[in-house]
Amino acid sequence: MSASVRTAAQRKARLLLIAELSPVVIVLFVLFGGALVLAVLQSLGFAPWFGVNTFPDFSYFGALWGSSAFWVSLWLTLYYGFVSTIIALIMAIILSLALIKPFRSKTLYKYLYKLPLMIPYTVGIALVVLMLGNGGIMSRLLAFVGMIDNPGQFPQILKTHYGWGIITVYVWKQVPFMTLAIYAVLLGIGRETEEAAAILGANRRQIFFSVTLPQILPGIVSSTLICFAFNVGAFEAPFILGGGYPDTLPVVAWRYFNDANYAFQLQGMATVVSIGIVSGVILFGYLAAYRRYERMRGRA
Amino acid sequence: MTQVQLNAVRKEFGSFVALEHIDLDIQSGELVALLGPSGCGKTTTLRMISGLDNPTNGEILFDGNDVSDVPVRDRNVGMVFQRYALFPHMSVEKNITFGLRVRDIPASEVSERLEEILDIVQLTAFRDRFPAQLSGGQMQRVAIARTLITKPSVLMMDEPLANLDTNLRGEMRRFIRELQQRFNITTIFVTHDQVEAMELSDRVAVLFDGRLEQFDTPDGIYHRPDKTSVAKFMGASNIIDGVVGDGGLKTAFADLSIGDGGAFGAGSQVKAMVRSEAIRLLKEPEAGAQNQLSGTIRTADFFGATVSYVVQVGDYELNVDEHSTEMLEPDTPVYLQLPSDRIWLFPDEKG
Ligand SMILES: Nc1ncnc2c1ncn2[C@@H]1O[C@H](COP(=O)(O)OP(=O)(O)OP(=O)(O)O)[C@@H](O)[C@H]1O
Ligand SMILES: [Mg+2]
Repeated sequence: MSASVRTAAQRKARLLLIAELSPVVIVLFVLFGGALVLAVLQSLGFAPWFGVNTFPDFSYFGALWGSSAFWVSLWLTLYYGFVSTIIALIMAIILSLALIKPFRSKTLYKYLYKLPLMIPYTVGIALVVLMLGNGGIMSRLLAFVGMIDNPGQFPQILKTHYGWGIITVYVWKQVPFMTLAIYAVLLGIGRETEEAAAILGANRRQIFFSVTLPQILPGIVSSTLICFAFNVGAFEAPFILGGGYPDTLPVVAWRYFNDANYAFQLQGMATVVSIGIVSGVILFGYLAAYRRYERMRGRA
Repeated sequence: MTQVQLNAVRKEFGSFVALEHIDLDIQSGELVALLGPSGCGKTTTLRMISGLDNPTNGEILFDGNDVSDVPVRDRNVGMVFQRYALFPHMSVEKNITFGLRVRDIPASEVSERLEEILDIVQLTAFRDRFPAQLSGGQMQRVAIARTLITKPSVLMMDEPLANLDTNLRGEMRRFIRELQQRFNITTIFVTHDQVEAMELSDRVAVLFDGRLEQFDTPDGIYHRPDKTSVAKFMGASNIIDGVVGDGGLKTAFADLSIGDGGAFGAGSQVKAMVRSEAIRLLKEPEAGAQNQLSGTIRTADFFGATVSYVVQVGDYELNVDEHSTEMLEPDTPVYLQLPSDRIWLFPDEKG
């Protein structure tokens, strides 16, 4: 009797679990997964609604990967994504470490640093144009104090392939996000291990690198993962602030989609799928390396 | 090796006063127990000696030198934290050798000292585990080993033995004592456990509510407490109101003779302590015995080696501890003897 009671309870628990998981599963597999399958099919020549069906047809990928512009675009995409993630990470770590210390008006700072989170990317882009553009506030200011003769001499910061404008926007927006994640982890680990290390004779550098950093790694990994994925796929910032041809891959894809010629839709899909493959491989590798590290440290 | 002095140390957290005024003079090589109820400021005291916190007022001296400007890492102190504070991302081995590795001690010496300490704390089999894979007692031993391996000149331990079983606890006590004597390390350890404080320490500092109530040898704290609060904390259960008379003490239930009134003149209102184990319990009266009272057993509680009786004498109840070789039933009439030299007097604090 008790066995049948247990199975009834188990069945109920299972049903509950399925009910709890279903919203996520539906969004993930039906909407996202379905779209992904369609995108891959289209990039391989399956688009009967445009009157094209040459499936399986690798010529779109062939044309894309065969052009040197694609590789420059890929490089730029990864470069902007990588550099802004690294810069934001370093700033976020410094900020989190500062916020963990007690100081006056800390509450104010804790509120202030989160502001960019609530401001849309587009507004951030506009602010960067206003500040850093030629004829922007910085150029006028420098001209006013006499460091340059006229605003026109202000060095070109935006619309170059160095991407300082893009990086600025990403960093501005993502430092608060990363800080939020890392600060939460820091709060969780507390000060005691750092104090123990100090008593054991470690200096500040040793404490940071061998005690604090390894412990905030979960926060670092999750937040950089999210930011890097976003940076590689984002469109507005490189479109407005980038250096023009060759563009980053999302902008390239957008140009294809926007083309009057329907045939380019499929080329655009191939571009999107390429972005997906590249970022997927990088993120998976990153996560796998981190998992390995955690396992080595006795955590499941 | 190092003499530690606290002069008029006060610690406030915002408007909260954690330590009111502490004067503590710990001799070089001495083992001192900090004893007191939860929240009385024991951890706070250790944190200030280690340099993790600074006193709001007062000074801390090592060998006569003010250490307020000496950073934590240069104080050469050791601290075993109440919650261990092990490095979760390091193996037992790496945790233990941390203090040596950051000081650039040659690898050969590190591994030599590691083997030695692993053996002492019996963790050799667990050297490659991570803290998350250890039991509470094992973590505690890692914390102790990690501190001891650095050979600090002042060793602080915040309830180092709280999570160990009785056997291991005894073993670690002996180990700490032996090591402390071998290296002559000035040691301050926090405990809730009076027995542990008595057994291990040269002197005991009793802390209540951020104040040092008494700093004395275990014997002094136990038998000659300064205040009834200390006596009660040390487990004294028979604290009796009385008035000192001529060579005697007048209490509500009997006139007791006392050795000598000491500092208390005739007529002083006092409180008297008689330890429950100092009272003799007899079934028959003894002729000519001093301070012999008749009473009735109210309750009897068995504690293994001892039995704890509550005996009613007149309107008064006295606690008496006896060996458990014979256990008497409640309602048995008995006779109590209160040896006059075991009656300790305090001034009446209300007066
Ligand atoms: N950082 C802090 N901020 C505010 N109050 C604190 C802080 N640290 C300790 N206190 C307070 O100071 C008092 C003494 O704390 P402490 O940790 O020294 O107690 P303790 O004697 O070690 O107690 P336990 O035996 O429970 O560990 C407590 O009332 C505690 O709440
Ligand atoms: Mg404490």
